[in-house]
Amino acid sequence: MDIFLSAIFAGTSRGAIYALAALGLVLVWRGAGVVNFAQMGQAMFSTYIASTLIAQNYSYWIAFVVALISGGVLGGLVDLLVMRPLNRKRSSSVLDSPAMRSTVPVIASLGILGVLQAAAGMIWAAEERGFPTPVNSLGLVINGKIMPFTAFDLFVIGIVFVTLLATTFFFKGTGMGLAMRASALNPEVARLSGIRIGLVRTLSWVISGVASSLAGLLVTPSANLSPYTLDLILIIGFTAAVVGGLDSLLGSVIGGFALGLLVSFVNVYDAPEDIFLAILIVLLTVLVIRPQGILGSKEVRRV
Amino acid sequence: MLEIKDLVTEYGSVKALNGISLLAHEGKITTVIGANGAGKSTLLRTISALEHPHSGSISWKNKSIVGLSPEKIVRLGIAHVPEGHAVISQLSVEENIQMGALFRMRSNKADVRLAIQEIYQLFPRLEERKKQLAGSLSGGERQMLAISRALVSRPSLLLLDEPSLGLAPLVVEQIIQTVNDLCRNTGLTVLLVEQNANTALGVADHGILLSLGTVAADLPAAQMKADVALRAAYLGY
Repeated sequence: MDIFLSAIFAGTSRGAIYALAALGLVLVWRGAGVVNFAQMGQAMFSTYIASTLIAQNYSYWIAFVVALISGGVLGGLVDLLVMRPLNRKRSSSVLDSPAMRSTVPVIASLGILGVLQAAAGMIWAAEERGFPTPVNSLGLVINGKIMPFTAFDLFVIGIVFVTLLATTFFFKGTGMGLAMRASALNPEVARLSGIRIGLVRTLSWVISGVASSLAGLLVTPSANLSPYTLDLILIIGFTAAVVGGLDSLLGSVIGGFALGLLVSFVNVYDAPEDIFLAILIVLLTVLVIRPQGILGSKEVRRV
Repeated sequence: MLEIKDLVTEYGSVKALNGISLLAHEGKITTVIGANGAGKSTLLRTISALEHPHSGSISWKNKSIVGLSPEKIVRLGIAHVPEGHAVISQLSVEENIQMGALFRMRSNKADVRLAIQEIYQLFPRLEERKKQLAGSLSGGERQMLAISRALVSRPSLLLLDEPSLGLAPLVVEQIIQTVNDLCRNTGLTVLLVEQNANTALGVADHGILLSLGTVAADLPAAQMKADVALRAAYLGY
């Protein structure tokens, strides 16, 4: 029973992180129409910044906040320095066909990922280093009994829950949130309503950058930090987003938690080396039965 | 006054507008009629900067607006209601209306609230349905919503693209009457694109007939309505 419960808790806290990664992908997909493969590269970069600050004896929380800010800044820079110029160039060249329009930014994001990984390797050297947790990551002891979860699990679940509430409030309850939804759903009507869609687009890169770097900060303690550690989260986060429906924020969160539990159960009851096989089976099953994802809308399937 | 001179807009090598010149006077309804493919929608899309003109000039209140972005043009008081009941179906009725006022929400919140109230007085059905998704509305209600989305920005020039498209005659009548009242009571300038020439010429002050991207006739509305030969030649009835 304890094994089952601890698998549930570990899966939920894992799932919370995957949900964040998936959320970051969906934000940029909806806001800018780009599947951003550089996302976890950006997160890796900001996690290195946090790690450097911690190594220089700054508190975890200062490093945490600085990493989130730099994640947002990096997201904004990717849009301003790469995606926007690319959009402007394309309208006057051979690349201006519908297929190319959707492919070019994706290839560019892969390029950015490569650049970020290489730069991180050059700046921080490519050897792995540990990354601390702000709270204890051993099994919590209550009344002398070891609980099936750790304080860090609770911390992760709590922080992701708050993030999801804040995101929901932002989208449903603020003018900028409405502007972002409108721009994603119908850019033309949004522009005719006076919404600056360029600004909105950059903002979705920024928010996605913050969400991804949060995912990076929370997942790194369980692995080690190297320029390539977060590739795994990218793959799982991407699968979560596709399973949930690439254009649905709620779907991406559900997909994240579902995959977290799956990974955790395979880990406990089967063997860690089967994790990818299990993920692949889930992905293929969803793509065959419901290609648009659990909550995705039908149009996305064509892309 | 909206003043357009020698306007040329191309889609690839096709000239959708081939040297259009026209005037739309303030506080009046000017209607642009013509067959499918005459360039009516392209004309409105070029004014609101969704399309870039190849050459020619567009000025509003004696200032050139060519080269500005659509977002900027809305801020100058030019609101465009594109063809096909352009609302965002996945957003609620209320959100669709608010969307049109987002850009001035911070600078003039009180007036935005007032504008939304006025819209609900104008179209009480929208207030009854404000929490519903726009996608669940009837065609007529959707057109009312699309117009409301534009009106909430308090435009001085309204570009209206085929509001009658796909609607029952009674609903068309109601919408056109509302636009007419707005123009007469508030001094709103209207550029109304219509395929339904009779209805449009019935309320308009001035008529402009487009054919294959050029102006075929530019006459007071009553005179155009009475010109049987013109209608037979260009509109087929």
